Amino acid sequence: MMSEKVSLTIDPASCPSQEQALQIITSAVEELGQREAWPDSLVFKVNLVLEELGLNIISYGGESGGPHPEIEIVITSENDSLTIEVSDDGRPFDPFEDAPEATVNAAIEDRRIGGLGIHLVQTMMDDLSYQHTGGKNRLTMVARREE
Amino acid sequence: MEVITERDGETLIAKTDGRVDGTNATDFQDALRNAITPDDKAVILDFGELSYISSAGLRVILLTAKDMRSANVKFAVCSLSKPVKDVFTISGFDQIIDIHDTQSEARTAVQG
Repeated sequence: MMSEKVSLTIDPASCPSQEQALQIITSAVEELGQREAWPDSLVFKVNLVLEELGLNIISYGGESGGPHPEIEIVITSENDSLTIEVSDDGRPFDPFEDAPEATVNAAIEDRRIGGLGIHLVQTMMDDLSYQHTGGKNRLTMVARREE
Repeated sequence: MEVITERDGETLIAKTDGRVDGTNATDFQDALRNAITPDDKAVILDFGELSYISSAGLRVILLTAKDMRSANVKFAVCSLSKPVKDVFTISGFDQIIDIHDTQSEARTAVQG
C-alpha cells in the first residue's frame, strides 16, 4: 500500500508564536495534500484539527508566562485513511476528557463560547485516543477517506 | 482575511474572504464591530470567498449572533462553501443562525 508520511516539530525556541506554528502546519498540510491529491475538504479538515489541538497546546500546555511545550506532529496518508499523531511535553492534559464540553444544542442565549474546537476535532475524526507516556501527551486520530 | 462591507438600505452586508483562524479572529471581530452601526436593522455575513474557518472564527460569529439578537437586529449568513457549512452544522449553528445559499436569498429573508 502506498503511504506518505510527514513529520513536523514546533519548537518553542525557533517557533514561539501561534502565527509561526500555524504557518508551519498549514504549509505542510497543503503540500502533503497536493502530493496525495486530497480533496479540498480533507485539507480543510486536517488544517482544522491541527490548528485546534496545536493552538490549545501553545496557549495552555506550558507554564504560565513560560515558553510553550515542544509539539511533534506526524501525518500519515494512506489510500483509505489518514492518521494524525500529535504529542507534546506540556502538562498532562487529555483534550477529549478534560476539556469543557461544547453546548451545540442549546438556544442561542444559552450557548457557551468555549469548547467548540475539541468538539469539531472529535466529530471530524473517526478514531481518537489519548495516552500519557514517557512524559508526553500523545494523541492519535484516524480519519477514514470517504471517496 | 479581509472584510468588505456594503449597505443595501438598512441592511449591512459584510463579505469576508481568505482564512479566519486563531491568529486573526480578533481582527475579524474588530472589523465586524466597527462596521455594524446602531442604525442597521439587519446584518448579513457573506462567506462566499471564505476558504477556512476554525473555532476561533466561529466564536466571533456566535458572539455577533448573540449581540444582534439582544439588539433586535436580523442576522443571517450566506454562500458557505461545503467544508465551512459542515463546520457550522457540526457546531450546531444551523439551529440558531439563518443560513442561506445565496446573498439574494439572505437579503429577501432579512428584508421581507
